[in-house]
Amino acid sequence: MSKTCIAMLLAGGQGSRLYALTQDVAKPGVPFGGKYRIIDFPLSNCTNSGIDTVGVLTQYRPLQLNSYIGSGQPWDLDVDDGGVYILPPYQTAGEKGSWFTGTANAIYQNISFIENFDPENVLILSGDHIYKMDYAEMLREHLAHNAALTISVQQVSMEEATRLGIMSTGADGYISEFEEKPAHPKSDLASMGIYIFNWKKLREYLIADENDPNSSKDFGKNIIPAMLAAGEKLWPYRFAGYWRDVGTITSLWDANMDTLSTTLINLYDPSWPIYSRSPVCPPHYTGEGSSVVHSIISEGCEIYGHVENSVLSPSVKVGKGASVLYSVLMPGAVVEDGAVVKYAIIGERTVVHSRAHVGEEPDGSETWGVATCGPDIEIKEGAAVPAGAMVYTGEEV
Amino acid sequence: MNNYHGIIFAYKSYPELRELVAERTAASLPICSRYRLIDFSLSSLRNAGIVDVGVIMQRDYQSLLDHLGSGKPWDMSRRTGGLRMLPPFGLPAHHRGDYSGTIEALNAVSSYIEEIPKKYIVLMIGNLCANINLREVCRVHEASDAEITAVCANYEPDVLHNRYVVGEDGYVMQVLFDRTGPSQGSMPALECYIINKDTLLRMMDRCRALDKYRFHQDAITMFLREGGKMGTYIHRTYARVIKDVDGYYAANMDLLNPVNRNSLFPASRPVRTKLESGVSTYYGTEAVSKNSLVADNCIIEGSLENCIVFTGVHVGKGAVLKNCIIMKDGVVGNDTHLDYVIADKDVTFSSNLAITGTQRLPIVVPKGSEV
Repeated sequence: MSKTCIAMLLAGGQGSRLYALTQDVAKPGVPFGGKYRIIDFPLSNCTNSGIDTVGVLTQYRPLQLNSYIGSGQPWDLDVDDGGVYILPPYQTAGEKGSWFTGTANAIYQNISFIENFDPENVLILSGDHIYKMDYAEMLREHLAHNAALTISVQQVSMEEATRLGIMSTGADGYISEFEEKPAHPKSDLASMGIYIFNWKKLREYLIADENDPNSSKDFGKNIIPAMLAAGEKLWPYRFAGYWRDVGTITSLWDANMDTLSTTLINLYDPSWPIYSRSPVCPPHYTGEGSSVVHSIISEGCEIYGHVENSVLSPSVKVGKGASVLYSVLMPGAVVEDGAVVKYAIIGERTVVHSRAHVGEEPDGSETWGVATCGPDIEIKEGAAVPAGAMVYTGEEV
Repeated sequence: MNNYHGIIFAYKSYPELRELVAERTAASLPICSRYRLIDFSLSSLRNAGIVDVGVIMQRDYQSLLDHLGSGKPWDMSRRTGGLRMLPPFGLPAHHRGDYSGTIEALNAVSSYIEEIPKKYIVLMIGNLCANINLREVCRVHEASDAEITAVCANYEPDVLHNRYVVGEDGYVMQVLFDRTGPSQGSMPALECYIINKDTLLRMMDRCRALDKYRFHQDAITMFLREGGKMGTYIHRTYARVIKDVDGYYAANMDLLNPVNRNSLFPASRPVRTKLESGVSTYYGTEAVSKNSLVADNCIIEGSLENCIVFTGVHVGKGAVLKNCIIMKDGVVGNDTHLDYVIADKDVTFSSNLAITGTQRLPIVVPKGSEV
């Protein structure tokens, strides 16, 4: 059966700039905004947009991600003639199999998977963005403009533009030029890394690119410039909503803080729910001496201390007299009695023992940053983790 | 636990539950911020590996059907066996009234019971708030030569209940019916039994012949009189059978106590329930929350004390809620004060109200009301 559009989600990246948080899990599997993991956003966008077939390309530390996605049931992606497929690199008879060597190569290696569905168009997504987008709207524009490729773009400041992939458009509205991190940007339209390709065209370019020994097998660096050079029709889809790349500690922390404000990203909007695989937990409990202010609390939490401007994932414990400020606590994290956590990200199941201190308030200095503890760490009683520190699993603090 | 099949009696409404059972049976009462009462029995069965379960219902089962779905949350959506809903199908057409007893309810689905391909049957009620270690109960049952093992509590219920007097040999000698308080040398029944299938079929048959259908007064009494062996197992952690508004209110408030909560929700035997979509709860800049249990997907901008709050509830700024149970999708307007109020699903309180009940008589606001 032929499909109008299927999605391929690039979830293989290590996310090396998240350091301790991605030691054991790929970036899309990092917890976000209380109940979610980053990958819940593209997966929920797919199901809300009526895209019922999603290939998830995994490579780095896929175990947690695989078990998290499972049958795809939480996202209603457990359908008969589509659904969610985990696609790791594989070996084929007669040839030597290989790791995915670039974003384009990852799709190239899965051409036969895509052909199974005989799609007219393929949506390429990354697994490290927080946003709510109706891909059906983007697909409508893509078809209406008879484009070979539609790139979702967002208006950014000229200063930001120097760090992003920038599109210039011609008089007809189509993309006329693409520059990666230009020193002097000619436009303020930045690529969001979300593409809809006409599948026949993409297949052609993927095969040509694979045969080019000088190519780095990347969509931004190779495929898009090649299509532009060949005079293909590239349409920019302008997206004005909330969209954040959460590839760094600071951007991950920032985006978590954004979830506290429904005017930035409203997770409570019933018309566009973000789904997640929920653990089985009792409701959260706020004790007699607790105070919770401007924060997000998830099921299974037990709060006896003070929580302010923070995002707590399921089953987090905050002890008596403990204080959690401007922080992100991932599932199962424990802040014991009298401990203080400020401007910090605490990994899954990490325990901050009593009277320990993690992170500090911004002091305006160059060296200040969000303190980060990876998963399964014990921060010893009375210990101090300074601002900007990065504590890895296995380290003694 | 391949030798076991579960049966849950979910047909009773109990008039003392008043407005709370206007459109549902006791088994589908929402409890503890995110559960339905029947979740405890279903999870007890599931956690013992018993996933072939029949749920006996008679009327007002719309809400129960909606909650149970395919049985997936309890791993009871199976190729063979799994969860089966059992509305009446073995009753004569002229039968209109409620089941006159548990045995009649079983007889109404007798062809189902007869075809159960298992040696033992676990009988439970849908209105028991307890996490029973059934794996352990089954072990005790198999190690004894009793045909029936009754699960008893070590607490003293304040509602009508049956009690067992146990003899020196460890087997039940006598049943005491419809007691309200403690009585020396006997234990309160939690209406949870492990029974050999052959024994159950024999009891159902005898009762049908005599046209007597009460489980304890008729079936168990006859069984004991004829020398049948019935053992007991004492469930030593939290338990409460819910039959009236007081008990319902008290059970919810019991769970504010961490000891009760830990015994009802041990990490090794989680209580499973229907999946709700995932957003966490937001507390506003002026929110206060003391000694309260709150589900996901709420927005709390006012203040809570000793409250049980279900999913999707919005508490407005300046609202003050004390000793309240607010079920799913409730809305409390700004500056409204509520004390000892049980608000059923989808209740909206407008702004600037003051409603006060008492501990003895909490005010029950029916489903969908606008106050």
